[in-house]
Amino acid sequence: MTRKIIHVDCDCFYAAVEMRDNPAWRSIPLAVGGRPDARGVIATCNYIARRYGVRSAMSSAQALKRCPQLLIVPGDMARYREASAQVTGIYRDYTDLIEPLSLDEAYLDVSGQPHLGGSATLMAEEIRRRIREEVGITASAGIAPNKFLAKVASDWNKPDGQLVIRPCDVAAFVAALPVGRIHGVGPVTTRKLNSLGILTCADLARWSLADLVREFGRYGERLHALARGEDDRPVNPSRVRKSVSVEETYPTDLPDLEHCLAELPPLIDRLRARLVRAGEPAVRGLVVKLKFADFTQTTVEQSAQGVELARLACLLEAGYARQAQPVRLLGVGVRLAEEGQLPRQLPLFDTL
Amino acid sequence: MLILQAERDALLKPLLAVTGIVERRHTLPILSNVLVEKKGGEVSFLATDLEIQINTASPEALAGENFRLTTSAKKLQDILRAIPDKTMVTLEQQDGRLTLKAGKSRFNLQTLPADDFPHLTANQAAEASFSLPQRELRQLIAKVQYAMAVQDIRYYLNGLLLQTDGQAIRLVATDGHRLAFAAAEVETALPKSEVILPRKTVLELYKLLQDSDEPITIDLLGSQVRFSLGATVIISKVVDGKFPDYNRVIPLDNEKIFLIERAPFLQALQRAAILANEKFRGVRLVLKPGSLSILCTNSEQEEAEEELEIAYDGGTLEIGFNINYLLDVLTNLPLDTLQLAFGDATRSALVTIPDNPNFKYIVMPMRI
Repeated sequence: MTRKIIHVDCDCFYAAVEMRDNPAWRSIPLAVGGRPDARGVIATCNYIARRYGVRSAMSSAQALKRCPQLLIVPGDMARYREASAQVTGIYRDYTDLIEPLSLDEAYLDVSGQPHLGGSATLMAEEIRRRIREEVGITASAGIAPNKFLAKVASDWNKPDGQLVIRPCDVAAFVAALPVGRIHGVGPVTTRKLNSLGILTCADLARWSLADLVREFGRYGERLHALARGEDDRPVNPSRVRKSVSVEETYPTDLPDLEHCLAELPPLIDRLRARLVRAGEPAVRGLVVKLKFADFTQTTVEQSAQGVELARLACLLEAGYARQAQPVRLLGVGVRLAEEGQLPRQLPLFDTL
Repeated sequence: MLILQAERDALLKPLLAVTGIVERRHTLPILSNVLVEKKGGEVSFLATDLEIQINTASPEALAGENFRLTTSAKKLQDILRAIPDKTMVTLEQQDGRLTLKAGKSRFNLQTLPADDFPHLTANQAAEASFSLPQRELRQLIAKVQYAMAVQDIRYYLNGLLLQTDGQAIRLVATDGHRLAFAAAEVETALPKSEVILPRKTVLELYKLLQDSDEPITIDLLGSQVRFSLGATVIISKVVDGKFPDYNRVIPLDNEKIFLIERAPFLQALQRAAILANEKFRGVRLVLKPGSLSILCTNSEQEEAEEELEIAYDGGTLEIGFNINYLLDVLTNLPLDTLQLAFGDATRSALVTIPDNPNFKYIVMPMRI
């Protein structure tokens, strides 16, 4: 049976909540993030700030360099959670199959739902209208037969827009889709695909499963399916996030430990920004992942209650010592506590 | 050959002063020994783990020959401890063995050559030297040492910051969640300098400090620090690292301020702590005009509630803490009245002594 999946993504969510509560901020570049003098990171910024080149996960200091008049306000998770809960309440009027990805993003499976004559397009329009009227912020939506395409589609007419990919449109839509738009294909993989002459999913679809697996390992299987617009992952309402991590594949391998250590701070900044977007969940451990030049990989972890550079540096040293050869990929992440509600001791120093 | 004759306490007291730092297991076996040396009438004892070294002398002149030997610190200490007070003890040395006799008891112990015993040599040039009464340093350390980190990967937190600046000396300890600061005046004008004393050194020094007016002299020797108190000298390496800037975390604009009687507050927390969660140790404080409530809940949903009357007429606040961090400061400050200052539920709280800038305790909240 063809499914009807809606991916809803609130536009610059934290900044939108701030602008709703402080209308004077609507007309100026605004970001939610940490203080620039305390190695703060931008969590979200409004579209005016984006015109200046301000981006999520950028250091606040860097953001101010690009946009000196940028107003950076500290986040207020309590208000964001409240707005998020309101939005989720709206979703519940249409389906119980809701998979939240973060406070501002969720997949909805509305297959077989009776509302609005069963039209997912009309449901998405009504959900977005209600979010605007009841919560006071805007959202974009993608409507498609699976999660992969719904997510690509929600990004298409952002902000405050939506895109429908009907089952009969899938083949044409996917064929023209640049491979860089595939979720999980980052700059390095994009470059590798492009160097193989693969620019669009149509190019990708001409490759056999065997050839893709030879080039990309297990991820080749997934590429093979995505190139055809296929994705059978269900919308899973009980999915509990167990970890949050970021990683980077380097254009040239990092030759030694010193170079690896130098790459830690930007990775940690990105991780912190991801954690803020995930609603600052309670952390129970830290993980460092290394992939070496020979493609072997190793992970090192330790229990911890927060993200700390010194601890991650120690883990990185331990992991590096296992192989002591050039490193092509570094990742840092946190393991999350089982319940989101565990008590958490706040740190005295931001950057120890 | 008889080398020494003394009453038990003349040996046990100085021995105990040095054996606290001896590690049970060490890669160098001789380091589990104590070096005993007699020169003229003076018998001295020395122990080291190569990070810290303590030596001391018996208070009185003792009869016997000059000698130098090393033997197991733990066994010698255990034997002397088990012998009745005032018993006369004799030491005899023959063929690398040490024989200890006391009354009808006799113990034959192994020795290792004294020349093989490693020493820490003190650096010569002192950057700063100062003295203060032992009681004063003891009280100062007591106010902060509980906040030192224990085996933290941020190794520079596993110790105590000692700062000198003009006539001020300052001690600071933090484990990254709370921070204790204590300052005192000394008579000497001192250069600006700071060292991190290792945790083990601080604990050992604290044990040796007497509650007396006798002085202790502290010499900062670059990578080492030396403490001289009576016949005892401690030489310790300092931690090579940068201690975090404590000024940065002292909250200046906490506006919810009130005085509280220490003893009733401590007792209320101790009672509430019985039902605090065993793992997270959370306590909720609810501040309202006229009252401070203390609430603890454990994983079995059992609850404890305490209420204290306080002179406070500011805004209300609900804030969570690790109850141990509050118990620590209240247990270690021998004062009747303390001042508490809160900001909001996500910012640090400040504990001070009314009208006294020489103590600060800063504790971050816990989200409960």
